[in-house]
Amino acid sequence: MRFAIVLLVVLAIACSIASLVTQGQSYEWYAQRYSERTAALIIALRLDDAFHSAWFIAINGFLCLNLMLCTLQQLPGLIKRTKAHKLPSEMPDAQAEGIDDPEKLFVKLGMRTIVRGEDGEGRETLFAAKNRAGIWGAFVCHIGILLLIVGFSLGQMTHGEFTAYGVPGQTRAVGDTGLALTIDDFSIGLREDDTVEQYESKITVTDLKSGASETASVSVNNPADLFGMRFYQNSTGWAAKVSVLKDGLPLDSAVVCAGELLPIKDKPELIVYFNAFYPDLVMVSGVGPSTASGQLNNPGYLYSVYYNGELLGMNVLKDGEVVTIDEYTVAFSEPQSYTLIQIKRDFFAPIALAGGVVTLIGLFLAFYLQPQKLWGVREDAGWTVSASCRKGGKLFKERFLNAAGRKEA
Amino acid sequence: MIHLENVLFTITLIMYLAAMLIYFVFIAAKKDAVSKVAVTVHIAGLFIHTAAIVVRGIAAGRLPLTNQYEFASAFAWGLSLVSLLFIVKFKFPVLGAFAAPVTFLIIGYAAMQSKTIHSLMPALKSGWLGVHVSTAIIAYGSFGVSFVLGIIFLLRDKLKDRGFLDQHIPNKEKLDLISYRSAALGMLFLTFTMITGAIWAERAWGSYWSWDPKETWSLVTWIVYAVYLHLRIRRGWRGRSAAIFAVIGFICVMFTYVGVNTLLPGVHSYA
Ligand code: HEM
Repeated sequence: MRFAIVLLVVLAIACSIASLVTQGQSYEWYAQRYSERTAALIIALRLDDAFHSAWFIAINGFLCLNLMLCTLQQLPGLIKRTKAHKLPSEMPDAQAEGIDDPEKLFVKLGMRTIVRGEDGEGRETLFAAKNRAGIWGAFVCHIGILLLIVGFSLGQMTHGEFTAYGVPGQTRAVGDTGLALTIDDFSIGLREDDTVEQYESKITVTDLKSGASETASVSVNNPADLFGMRFYQNSTGWAAKVSVLKDGLPLDSAVVCAGELLPIKDKPELIVYFNAFYPDLVMVSGVGPSTASGQLNNPGYLYSVYYNGELLGMNVLKDGEVVTIDEYTVAFSEPQSYTLIQIKRDFFAPIALAGGVVTLIGLFLAFYLQPQKLWGVREDAGWTVSASCRKGGKLFKERFLNAAGRKEA
Repeated sequence: MIHLENVLFTITLIMYLAAMLIYFVFIAAKKDAVSKVAVTVHIAGLFIHTAAIVVRGIAAGRLPLTNQYEFASAFAWGLSLVSLLFIVKFKFPVLGAFAAPVTFLIIGYAAMQSKTIHSLMPALKSGWLGVHVSTAIIAYGSFGVSFVLGIIFLLRDKLKDRGFLDQHIPNKEKLDLISYRSAALGMLFLTFTMITGAIWAERAWGSYWSWDPKETWSLVTWIVYAVYLHLRIRRGWRGRSAAIFAVIGFICVMFTYVGVNTLLPGVHSYA
């Protein structure tokens, strides 16, 4: 147990240090933020991804091992104690002599089932126990924690996570799962004060192999389960129609999300990149393009053009404006919101949840079902009644002495 | 409605301040009767505080547990409630003299926050969030009481006055037990808070645990109290070591609550 306490303290310290370091950044990022030496230390100690590092996993592994051994070791004793129905040999927390009516005292302390017997010397005895399940509290709690850690770790190792985004009408592949996701509709519910009440996507998911499909509506806090995967409304952003003309004749047009690029159809080394969208464009000096509100008052499209990977130029276009590159003309129009759906599969999440619930039950048993025992032996001068409570002995002792009409010594 | 809430909140503030001062007078004047007045004012303060929170809930049309002001006020409410439960159950008004200043500090912090009622972003619109935050309040309140008891435990030796206070503060063994009862209540509720928080996070963000600083710090707090529980099992470590951990635990609670929001980045930062 001493080792367990040390491990828990080490784990707490490890977590707190890790929380102080922004996770998942590069050496350069840390070097700029702190110093090169600190950055080197962070990378060497894997503090950039502390919660998945070997040392963090090792601490948890030791903790589980220790917990498992401790729990197994306790098991025989627990079973024995649960079955025991005879007079305890332990030292009582309190004792009262010369009691005339011990049963009344037992009942007063909530002991209803009283077992009668005889001790080795042939004297009459009484025994009662309450909250026996309480002795299992620590055991149940520890099993819960093991389940939780195991469920979480397995989930981390095996879970699949994908994203798919687009505007209504578009269909996207869901990673390598063999599923395709079609966005049927996407709506943003606004309140009167223009704040967002809810984002909601209507989706159809098709299993490409069998052709079977299912539809669902997903919104924030209301994910949908389809084909064994869970679909979440994750976020939203802007998309627009990009039209490309060649020598004045239509060549291509596509809906492109901000952050995506569009290679020119018959000249793929020429690429138009849709950097960002500003629904209510304003030019702020020192900052550049920005948006004054979320309303579509003055749409502005920030784009850049690349040729063979080299940046040719970058600018902001408004509705109706075009950019001309040699014989090509590019225009942006019809801004609309796209939806981003996150797709996840974690078979072990229910195990982690069960672990949490079991832990909770264990804590309840440990804290609120305090095993209490009362036993009495008939002696010449009346009954001698003893009381013990494995935990909170002092408080039970007070109640016992009160009920027995005795003052604490 | 908002005006009414303001009035009730201000009265609460005054009542808690008054209760605190009367508890002090009780100790200074060494008169048992004064403690009854203090406890009564404290209870009245809790009732008015409850009314203030209910009125705000009605005005906002939702559980008033979603921004810094609302949560600070609820935190003070939880501490007030749990400390009163312990004061009454263990006939221990001296506890009030230590708990009331902490309660007053927290509600004072609430008073400094913006009281504007904002409409909720979609991620916060969840029944799980309501359960998550409600249980956090009880957990934090219980840990606050455990912290105060830890302080009393550590100060007990330094008491010069062997008369009045000595009689009114339980002996160390009992103090340790009462502190254990409150930490246990806190631990049960913190565990429940973390489970419901994970369920909510999974539905809102698609991941039930993502090591965001607030999550990490609630885990640190949880581990500190787990250590506290285990320390108490060994007789030799009961008492002083456990009291120190009860104090450290509450420092972690406060850091999780205020420090993480202001010092570290994460999804909980809006709370
Ligand atoms: C390496 C990890 C751990 C080990 C080896 C360990 C071991 C033990 C042992 C030997 C006991 C005494 C059992 C008894 O008296 O019946 C105990 C009690 C307990 N443990 Fe753990 N434990 C560990 C981690 C945890 C954690 C993380 C928690 C989380 C809350 C926890 C919760 C409890 C509780 C609630 C009790 C009962 C305490 C009480 O009744 O006051 N344990 N533990």
